[in-house]
Amino acid sequence: MIGMIMFAAALVMLMLGFPVAFTFGGVALFFGVFAQGMDLFAFMPYRIMSVMQNTVLMAVPLFIFMGVVLQRTKLAEQLLTSMGRLFGGLPGGLAISTILVGALLAASTGVVGASVVAMGLISLPVMLAHKYDKRLSTGTICASGTLGQIVPPSIILIILGDVLGLPVGDLFKAAVWPGVVLIGLYIVYILVLTRLKPETAPPMPEDPTRSRKQEIVAALIAIIPPLALIVVVLGSIFTGIATPTESSALGGVGAVVLAIIYRQFSFKMVWEAAKDTVSVTAMVFAILIGATAFSMVFSYTGGDYLLEEWLTMLPGEHWGFIILAMLVILILGFFIDFVEISFIIVPILAPVAESLGINMLWFAILVAMNLQTSFLTPPFGFSLFYLKGVAPPEVRTVDIYRGIIPFIAIQILVLALIVVFPEWFGMSATY
Amino acid sequence: QETFTLRLAETWGPNFPIFGDTTKRFKETVEKMSDGRIRIRIDSANKHKAPLGVFDMVKAGQYDMGHSASYYWKGKVPETLFFTSMPFGMNAIEQYAWFYYGGGMELMEEVYEPHNLLSFPGGNTGVQMGGWFRKEIKSLDDLKGLKMRIPGFAGEVFAEVGVNPTNIAPGELYTALERNTIDAVEWVGPALDLRLGFQQIADYYYTGWHEPATELQFLVNKKVWEKLPADLQEIMRVAMRSSAYDMLIQSQHANAEAWANIKKDYPNVKIKKFPKEIFQAMYEANKKLLKEAAENSEMAAKIIESQRNYLQKSRAYTDISERAYLNTMAEVE
Amino acid sequence: MGWIIKLDEGLGWLSKVCGWIACVAMILMAANVFYDVVARYAFNDVSIAMQEMEWHLYSVVFLLGIPYALRTDGHVRVDVFYTNWSNTRKAWVNLVGALIFVIPFAFLIGFYGYEFALDSYHMGESSGDPGGLPNRWIIKAVIPFTAVFIATAGLNMATYAIRVLAGDRSYETEHSGGGLA
Ligand code: NA
Ligand code: NA
Repeated sequence: MIGMIMFAAALVMLMLGFPVAFTFGGVALFFGVFAQGMDLFAFMPYRIMSVMQNTVLMAVPLFIFMGVVLQRTKLAEQLLTSMGRLFGGLPGGLAISTILVGALLAASTGVVGASVVAMGLISLPVMLAHKYDKRLSTGTICASGTLGQIVPPSIILIILGDVLGLPVGDLFKAAVWPGVVLIGLYIVYILVLTRLKPETAPPMPEDPTRSRKQEIVAALIAIIPPLALIVVVLGSIFTGIATPTESSALGGVGAVVLAIIYRQFSFKMVWEAAKDTVSVTAMVFAILIGATAFSMVFSYTGGDYLLEEWLTMLPGEHWGFIILAMLVILILGFFIDFVEISFIIVPILAPVAESLGINMLWFAILVAMNLQTSFLTPPFGFSLFYLKGVAPPEVRTVDIYRGIIPFIAIQILVLALIVVFPEWFGMSATY
Repeated sequence: QETFTLRLAETWGPNFPIFGDTTKRFKETVEKMSDGRIRIRIDSANKHKAPLGVFDMVKAGQYDMGHSASYYWKGKVPETLFFTSMPFGMNAIEQYAWFYYGGGMELMEEVYEPHNLLSFPGGNTGVQMGGWFRKEIKSLDDLKGLKMRIPGFAGEVFAEVGVNPTNIAPGELYTALERNTIDAVEWVGPALDLRLGFQQIADYYYTGWHEPATELQFLVNKKVWEKLPADLQEIMRVAMRSSAYDMLIQSQHANAEAWANIKKDYPNVKIKKFPKEIFQAMYEANKKLLKEAAENSEMAAKIIESQRNYLQKSRAYTDISERAYLNTMAEVE
Repeated sequence: MGWIIKLDEGLGWLSKVCGWIACVAMILMAANVFYDVVARYAFNDVSIAMQEMEWHLYSVVFLLGIPYALRTDGHVRVDVFYTNWSNTRKAWVNLVGALIFVIPFAFLIGFYGYEFALDSYHMGESSGDPGGLPNRWIIKAVIPFTAVFIATAGLNMATYAIRVLAGDRSYETEHSGGGLA
């Protein structure tokens, strides 16, 4: 029960505006020492060490570095505005470009912190400068930055493969269509919204001195360098030159090379970019460390056993089970991080699903879709914190919370589609 | 009557097959045999987050017990390397005989005691497979510069014959092998390899030589052990020994099933054995590395000596019993 | 008040040094990973020591970055109410938070992290992989080392809050490195 009270306490404390990381850490400290004594915290060095040795997370600073360099050299702005121009008078062009760039990043990493922060750096300033609605901008970035969790390669799918005993390759293949549909619906949403409310995403101003054709040619030329960079990152993964994590270093070094080519390079620029990178990286990892203290206290005070007990009360009938299981994961996703859900909750649900004759591959994809949503649900969705961390002060937490809601609705819609029409996604619900 | 709750940290994730089943069986056996006087609480890696911190946590008393493998502590205490499995070493029966009748347990105690720990055999995987390769290995030259995920001492032996041991995060292993970032992966055996899907992307499955009898371990904090009354200690001992035995036979069973499935569903997979020149080179490399280890530590020298002598003696008997029988079968079938 | 200003500036300087080290590690890490990829792909040369150096550097980046980000107010806050509050109110939140959250948290991590690193030192722990790095205690010692600097940065947060309460400084001027962080 202590775990549950602790969540409530953290929620209240967060509202006071003290840094999120240390609010998590401090609340955990109070409850942990109260319930178990100081020695509980002897586990902390091991937990910090496990973050240090989690080399997949190395992608976070490296992608952030790439994003910062692209931003400081104005190459990112150029990429997005040119893509926006390609869409011509279409309102929402920048948002659609953001989603497409986000989708490309998603295909090159499975680490949420990396892509949300990189997208926040690259695209938020551009959208705000072009008078985009704050909510639309932040929602688009959080949603497309989190795509990395469902679009392969993805950490969630790898963990689920391990927990459910499914080959990772099968999961990666099965996740492709749900990912594509999600991206498609995000774009449809932008198109519909900007038709109904054009003021939320004004079209790129046209340059009166140039014809439409000249404009397109200019845009295509401007797109090439930053797009080439993304192609290098993705290409290095697909050809096996680098692992997804390592590809982020190619991206960082590549961005510096681009800066040299475009005569934007200076040692000062690299140093300033390193400073920004360190600061933003520290923000992301401080949250991870605060959260690991939090989940440590939660589980060592019996929170995991309590959850187990509750879950055994789920109904044992096909539709009832699926719907309730999805609801439980969605709700728990508000509070608990996805690794804990994969390791604690999923193993309890899996045997029940199996005994009902449910196709485990389909079940795994449902869980993965659901878990990526958990990064976006207020108040604890990590993507929201990460974007807030790189957003200018005039973007408030509330803007981000409100901005994400339509995208969460889209995700729930896609989840429902996979539940009801698995064959649309090349899967079947049962064996 | 006094009751004890022992907290056990295992290196594996929750529900990890075979390895995790072993701790669960241990828990059941102990709780039943002691009529509830001992309770075991198992924490898997997702809870303590320190799969390779089990040694330190049991040593410091944060956990009372652990379930792991001795060779993981090689970087901390080099002599712990010898109590899991050695390249070209004993098979499971021979190694169990060495532990319980050939002086192995005493040597293990000597190594672990200074660290306030006791170590007991904790289940065996049997012969581990030599790994998944994307290209056939026909000669020593094919191994030169080959990039392979192969950790620990076996990696050192491979390195001696020209392989490039490479670190890849477990989560990226599949992608790395699929896209030729690395050329080969060593994991465990069919039952556990199947879960990672290597059979989908690599055709050549090599037979093993490097870990002929991988023995897991139960670690117990010595102070905690000494607090238990003699009858409970005996219950613990018997439960550890029986769950270790169970793991050996469960490994045999699960691997046989998994291998039958791989053969049926993945006809692309071919079983291969390294050519003799490679084995010969690795055999020499192994001897050289053991010699170095013996020169660096008296304790290591003592263990290596004991294992070598025991292997010689018991292999002579294996030759006229198990091997003779298997050869006979091979002739008539 | 004079000594508070001196202390505040001294502590701020410490956090900046942490940031400086983390920046150097950041650039080295990018170069390290890039080098490893090129060496492996172009020259078929893999060094486990260099591969391990990657996560050593990455750990330094994010660990020593934490005190630096505290000084530059880089840590994310939920600003539902916070932005609209007066400087005095913000100062109280930060003063109390630093004293009851940041410093005790850093103390516990430092205390247990010290034992963690010391044990590794006594055992002479090294990497267990072929050609790996020796002296694992060095990277483990970064944990308590960081904790000390988080504590001083927490103290710094408190001294700054006191300066704000005294009217010597305000939070507006200090805002996070221009939108970035
Ligand atoms: Na991805
Ligand atoms: Na193995």
